[in-house]
Amino acid sequence: MNIENTKAQMRKGVLEYCILSILNGEDKYTSEILDTLKDAKMLVVEGTIYPLLTRLKNAGLLNYRWEESTSGPPRKYYTLTETGKLFLKELDTTWDELRNATNLVTKTKNN
Amino acid sequence: MNKTININLANLFFHIDEVAYSKLQRYLEAIKRSFANTSGSEEIIADIEARIAELFHEKMENERQVITEKEVDEIIGIMGQPEDYMVDEDIFEDQPQSTKKSGRVRKLYRDIDNKYIGGVSAGLGHYFGIDALWVRLLWILLTIFSWGGFVFIYILLWILIPEAVTTAQKLDMRGEAVNISNIEKKVKEGFDDVAEKVKNVDYEKVGNKVKNGSRGFFNAIADIIMFFFKIIGKFIGIILIVIGAAGIVALLIGLFTVGILDIIHLPGVDFYNLVNSTSTPVWVVSILTFFAIGIPFFFLMYLGLKILVNNLKSIGNIVKFTLLGLWLISIILLTVFGIHQAAAHAYSGNVATENELIFAQPSEPITLNLRSTDRDKQENNMRINGIVLDYTENGEEILISRDFRMYIKMSHDSLARIEVRKNANGNSFKNATETAAKINYSYMVQGNTILLDDFLTTGRENKFRDQDVRVYLYLPMGTKVEFGKSPENCWTIRANNDQNMNGCEITKYAWMLNKDGALKCENCPETEEADDDNNGKIIINENGVDIDIKGDGDNFKLKIDDKGVQFKTNETRSTDLKRDTVQ
Repeated sequence: MNIENTKAQMRKGVLEYCILSILNGEDKYTSEILDTLKDAKMLVVEGTIYPLLTRLKNAGLLNYRWEESTSGPPRKYYTLTETGKLFLKELDTTWDELRNATNLVTKTKNN
Repeated sequence: MNKTININLANLFFHIDEVAYSKLQRYLEAIKRSFANTSGSEEIIADIEARIAELFHEKMENERQVITEKEVDEIIGIMGQPEDYMVDEDIFEDQPQSTKKSGRVRKLYRDIDNKYIGGVSAGLGHYFGIDALWVRLLWILLTIFSWGGFVFIYILLWILIPEAVTTAQKLDMRGEAVNISNIEKKVKEGFDDVAEKVKNVDYEKVGNKVKNGSRGFFNAIADIIMFFFKIIGKFIGIILIVIGAAGIVALLIGLFTVGILDIIHLPGVDFYNLVNSTSTPVWVVSILTFFAIGIPFFFLMYLGLKILVNNLKSIGNIVKFTLLGLWLISIILLTVFGIHQAAAHAYSGNVATENELIFAQPSEPITLNLRSTDRDKQENNMRINGIVLDYTENGEEILISRDFRMYIKMSHDSLARIEVRKNANGNSFKNATETAAKINYSYMVQGNTILLDDFLTTGRENKFRDQDVRVYLYLPMGTKVEFGKSPENCWTIRANNDQNMNGCEITKYAWMLNKDGALKCENCPETEEADDDNNGKIIINENGVDIDIKGDGDNFKLKIDDKGVQFKTNETRSTDLKRDTVQ
């Protein structure tokens, strides 16, 4: 087992959930999503995000629109679709359960 | 100073210098490759390009600033290596897969997580879908049988095969094995695909769909053909590697063998020095030969690996050109050496000495005999081209050759004479004559017997230069000649005789030199017919059938020709059938 590998797998597993959460309520363009993820240390390199966004979009969870920018190239603004919102709700529940379960297990171990 | 290039990245205009441009291009190419099998890859690439453009835009303070390698490196640092873009398939299994089935054929990497030495065996094990243990066992066996030659191959593979570092590479390494059942599966999938496409064409609305359907159909066929090409390519690659490796190992074994023999001075290698006309030491020639033959084999192996391993580490242009140069130099030196070698035999010279022979009683028969040496029969003496290396009692090394012939001729007067002609080759006439003069040859006359050596010797330092000795025995007409009791190398005797016998046959009889210069047999038995062998003959040809068999007193004769059929046995009755009786 390679520790770096495991860490990367864990992060990638929740990355989808994080992206959907970031877009909950407000539309954001790629760089903003990236900045949020990087600040939270969810992402080490940016490369990972692009195939993921395309996957989510192809699955019908996301949608995007182009917006002109005053400085730089036009921006791709992502927005959650109705399916995406339902999906996120589902994931929220799962995440809560998962977090509780993990807390429970690790706490029992520690005490 | 650097040239700059103008690029359009996601509809933004940038100045970029040449070095940075090629680096960026390579990077984007690598990313494109890693997304080759993913659906929506074009969109992903466009997003990535847009982001890179955005990052460049932030970094540039004004329009005139040029993007250099430094900026590109920073961007790559932010964006990550190509393999970071890969998202593990198993996490997104419910995702709609791309229309093509993700047929990830294994790639050859070194598995450094399960390594014993360099991870070569483990990597090969993954590649062929067998346990690394068997691969290791095979290595050990090959190493033993090749006297360690495969250690060299192992090191080569170690250098050339990249190690699987990133997750993507590790996944590639463990992808689908290149084995028969997987090939079968692939082919079946391909045919199913085609069958489905054919069905779709039939059932779906014709019209516009036909176009799409047929395109898909042909795409599927093209996929199958491409797949076959890939598999054939892999096999060719494997075959090339095997040939290359085997060649290198064989040469290594040869090189080591010659090298070891040279050190411990086995007679076999001593011969090299006898033949050798230049002063080039044996190891130089061995190494030159190794390079001249080994380097092509190495490139063959490298080519095979390149087919098998997509991302093979390059051996670099320096190494490539060094090897090429080394090869050319080896070839040139070997050619020069060969020309030298040939030149050493370009001239032939001879030394002839003629002496009078005085026999005790010239009117009585003269006995001719050959004296052999048994030196060349010793097992531990090596020989080439009939030349043997041996040691004299004094410990000096001498060469012994059996290249000897004796001719019996008629003298023009009443004197018996012997002419000994010594021949040798050399790189000049003088040299050849000198070498010829150094040939030792001796004969003896005792009473009426003449004893001739049937071999010649020369010092080792004279080397092998096609030395030979020809002895001409001039005898007066009427001389009676006999031979010693069956000399061993009787075939070296040449004499015209009235029986057309060869050298060995004439030693059985007594002869007299006739006035025509040929030997006349004194006591040869009367020959009955031309067919002197007692087993008879069976001739069947266009003239008919002629069978004549003689056994221990049985006799059988059958003759069928245009005269009719004749039949005879050793019984007194003889049958003579007329032609018409037969018909």
